[in-house]
This record gives sequence, structure tokens and C-alpha cells, in this order.
Amino acid sequence: MRLCTSAIALVVGLLVNPGAHASQPPQRWVSAGGALTEWVAALGGESKLVGVDTTSQHPESVKALPSIGYQRQLSAEGILSLRPQVLIGTEEMGPPPVLAQVRGAGVQVEMFSAQPDLPTLKGNLEHLGKLLGNEAKARQLFTGYEQALNQQKSAIAKAQAMQKAPGVLLLLGHAGGKPLIAGKDTAADWLLQQAGGHNLATHTGYKPFSTESLAGLSPDVLVFADRALTGDAARTALFKEKPILAATPAAKNGRVFELDPTLLVGGLGPRLPQTLMKLSVEFYPSQAESAP
Amino acid sequence: MTTLVRPKTLFIGLALLCVLAIWLSLALGPVSLPLLDTARAALRLMGLPIDPQGLEQAQLILGQIRLPRTLLGLAVGGVLALSGVAMQGLFRNPLADPGLVGVSSGAALGAAVAIVGGSLFGGLPDAVGPYLLSLCAFIGGLGVTALVYRLGRRNGQTNVATMLLAGIALTALAGSAVGLFTYLADDATLRTLTFWNLGSLNGASYSRLWPLLLVSAGVALWLPRRAKALNALLLGESEAGHLGIDVEGLKRELVFCTALGVGAAVAAAGMIGFVGLVVPHLVRLLAGPDHRVLLPASVLAGASLLLFADLVARLALAPAELPIGIVTAFIGAPFFLYLLLRGRA
Repeated sequence: MRLCTSAIALVVGLLVNPGAHASQPPQRWVSAGGALTEWVAALGGESKLVGVDTTSQHPESVKALPSIGYQRQLSAEGILSLRPQVLIGTEEMGPPPVLAQVRGAGVQVEMFSAQPDLPTLKGNLEHLGKLLGNEAKARQLFTGYEQALNQQKSAIAKAQAMQKAPGVLLLLGHAGGKPLIAGKDTAADWLLQQAGGHNLATHTGYKPFSTESLAGLSPDVLVFADRALTGDAARTALFKEKPILAATPAAKNGRVFELDPTLLVGGLGPRLPQTLMKLSVEFYPSQAESAP
Repeated sequence: MTTLVRPKTLFIGLALLCVLAIWLSLALGPVSLPLLDTARAALRLMGLPIDPQGLEQAQLILGQIRLPRTLLGLAVGGVLALSGVAMQGLFRNPLADPGLVGVSSGAALGAAVAIVGGSLFGGLPDAVGPYLLSLCAFIGGLGVTALVYRLGRRNGQTNVATMLLAGIALTALAGSAVGLFTYLADDATLRTLTFWNLGSLNGASYSRLWPLLLVSAGVALWLPRRAKALNALLLGESEAGHLGIDVEGLKRELVFCTALGVGAAVAAAGMIGFVGLVVPHLVRLLAGPDHRVLLPASVLAGASLLLFADLVARLALAPAELPIGIVTAFIGAPFFLYLLLRGRA
């Protein structure tokens, strides 16, 4: 008889528990991925974040949250001390033994892909929306994003029909010092292509470059992303460090533009379409003028 | 020979320090647990029948996170310090450290091969990656050391000076190979490599702990048996030979134990500098150069130092964490300088 009661209690418990779980989305979130943090904020979950990693720099308010360190070098006890219910991050999150410990402590660990393409983003947003209990908003955000990118694509196709794609180099630096050039297989390369530019660098990854090889490339446009300085300070520092850049067609025609380096990590973020639009206007100035 | 403290006092002091370090390492962390809970969970983990009511979290954090981490710190600290004594005895030079015979640079090369090679071949599955990294580092350390030892041998004799120079040459060679891998690495891989080179006790788990515990226990039991031979070696190689010591055998044992111990430590926790060089120094400053004291005392001192350094590493930036290699150098070097200057005055 007693066995029977406990069995019933067990079954009832099993039936009731998942239901209780679904109606109550997790309230304490830790995010280990810059773009993911931005999406959580865009989905209205910012107040649920209790900790973020060092790649999470946007929106401005998350900088005030406790930092769990670099996404690849997380600490199990550090994360647990924030008493999170969910830990989200990209496949770059680690090390794996720490994730196993966090999982072992009953925290839901959710991995997302950082692939920069739309189907991945769609999956990620759906997943995030479900976790946050805001699926409608997630769908809406994705549709808007897709539209913006498609619009962008057709505008560039139109522009390229009238004007050759400009040769671009993207320099990633720290206070101007020893800038690296973005080559193939980088987020920066993908971004340049989406904005309609032609990346002149042919190597893979971010590599330092010789002044001589740079002079031979003669880029039409230079894009720089600086981790320490912004605006004119970064531009001045860069030209001081690499005077040869001043002799490029890009510098002569004043076509040197800035890019926020946080856009280059962690997959597609919500600020991307806007940046792409700005870049493509700079790549195809004649188009922008003729447009109403 | 005047010493600051008598051996007996030193051992009692170091044992107390070590127990304190273990207790703090178990009791402190970013998650603040009530002291009573920590004690009850610790007793429960030792097998005492204690009511588990309300202890789940304490037991999980203690058993799955802090205990393996503490054991890792004890083993790594102890074996690094011990290898430092062995190397300083072998080269009869207090500036020697375990890196001198190429074990650290070999391990770094092995790690670079595993980290960068793994990512070049499309990334390793999570389940295999960490083990492969440890294995490659261990094999790299052992391999380069074996090569250094082999280069130092001529006509059945091991020339320590040749070995030292061969160690420097191979370290440079391994360094350039690591540099090449660094150049080939992408951004993310590069950061993994950088962090590995700074060492960490983070993410310790029992399955990866056992090999290191076995190796370090073996080395820690074996090397003190050679204390008298090491004392004789201080007089010079031929003098030690006249005293009836098998000098060639001793050299082989010292190199082998160092390669094994440091290789396993580095494989488990990454590169942790400074401990192997400075802990033997500290103990020598306190208790003199007698290896019968120096060897066991260095194990205790190295283990305690590493645990204290790890406490700083995990608490200073909580909930984030500092690489421990930064901490060992940062707290150890000024302390060492202080002792050095005080000793001179």
C-alpha cells in the first residue's frame, strides 16, 4: 500500500514538475559570449543577467555586472558563486572540465553556434527566445534582421553593377601598434564581403604584415578596428605606427574608416546590419549620393 | 654551518603551514560556504556518517571542485619543488631549475602541437581534447629531456656541462617551434596557448588527477632516498665517486625523476614557473644545504606555496580567475628578494 502511494506520488511529481518548469523560465543568467549577451538584452532579458564574460561589452550596462573572465578560461566555482540557473555561451566556451563541473552542480549549460550565417542565427534566436519565454519577440527580431541583410545584399548588387568592388584592407590593432591584417576565414573577411568590399589580403587568419607587401596592394579603402583607442586618436596612432599607410590611395582620398572590434567576435550580433549599412555607404559613395 | 632554524622546528612549522593551506584551500572560494557546513561536508566526504540534510551544495563544491583542486595543487607544488632540488643538486648550481634539462620547453612544444594541430585538423572532440593535450605535453617533456640526456653522454659518461648547453640549445629550438605554431594559430587558439603557458589549477577532476598523484607520490618517495648521495655530489663528481656513490646512476635517476615529475605536473596544470627555482632556495636559506632536510622540506613548502598562490588566483578577481603562474611569480619573487637581502645583512 505504502509502495503504491509513493509510486503515485512519483508519477504525479514527474507530471507536475516539467509543467512547473516551463511556466517559470530561468531567472538568473550568466552569459559567456558577446553577441549572445546583446541578443539576451535585445530580447528583454537584460535584467536577468547576473554575470558576463570579458567579450560581453554591449549594451553599456552589462559592463557593471560581475565578470566571469575570458570565455575559454572560465572558473566553475566563480560561476556557481553567482547562483545562475542558466549558463549560455558559444562553442568557444570552456575549458570542458569546468563546464562539466558547472553542469554537475545543476546549472543548465546551453551552447550556441558562433557561425556567421543566417540559418545559425535563426536557430540561436529561436532557442534563446524559448529559454527566455519570449518566442514571438525572437521571431520578430530575426525577420527584421533577415530583411535588413537582404536589403543590404540587393543594394550592393545594384551598386556593384555600376562600380567595381573597392579593394579593402582591414587592420586590427591595439592603440595603433603592430596592426594585424584580416585575411580569409575570419569574421572580418565575412563582414567586408557582406558590405560589398573586396578583401585584398589573401592569407588566412589575422597576421602581421610587411610594409613592402602593403605598398604593393594599394587598397582603395582602409578599415581599422582598434581595441584601445577610438576615432581620430586611433587613426593618428595607426598612421604614426605605419607611415606607409599614408601613401595608399585610401589615405590620399580620405577613405579610412573605423569599425568596432567587438563586432568581430562571437557570431552575428544585433548591431551588425547597421554597421554593414554604414560600411557599404562608405564603400560605394556614389550610390549613397544618388539614393534619395 | 649556521642555520636560521633547526630541522625539527622547520618540519613542524612546514607541516602546520601545509595543513593550514589545505584547510584554507578547502574552506575558501568564490562560493561562500558557512564554516560549519564546510567542516561537516569534509567529514562526510571522509566517510563519517553525518546527516546530509542541507549539505548538498557544500558537498558538491567541496567534493567535485575544491578537493580535486587542492590535491592537484599539493601534487604539482610538491613535485615541482622536489625537481628543483634534484636539478640544483645535479648541476651543483643554485640557479638551476627543472626547465634546464628541457622538460618545460618540451612540454610547451607538445602542448602547442596538441592545441594548434588539433584546431588545424578541424577541432578535437571535447571528450578527447584535454587528455590529448596532457598526453602530448607529457610526451614532449619526456622526449626533449631524453634527448638532452643522450646528447650529454659520451663514452658512458654524462657530462653535466654538455647537458646544460644541450638543454639550452634544445630549449631555444623548441621555443622557435612553438613560435612557428603560434604564427600558424588563429586568434582563439592563440589565447588558449597563452593561458596554458601561464598555468592553472582550474577544472581539476579526479580522472585526470590520478596519473599525476601516482607519479608525484613515486618521485616524492624515491628522491629523498638519494639525499646522502646528493650531499656527496655537492663535493664534486670525482669526490662523490671516491665516497662510493654510483655517480652515473645518480645522474640518470635525477634526470629521469625530474622529467617524469615535471612532465606530469605540467601536463596536468600547464606551465607554473618559479616554484621549482625558488622553493629549494627558500628552504636552503632557512635550514642549510643538507639534502636530508632539503628534499622533504621542499615538498611541504612547494605544496603550501602553490595552494596559497591558488587561493589568490581564485579569489582576487572572483568570479573570474587569474592564471596561477602570474601569482606564483608575483608573490614569490618579492619574498625571495627579501630573504636574499636579509641574509646578506
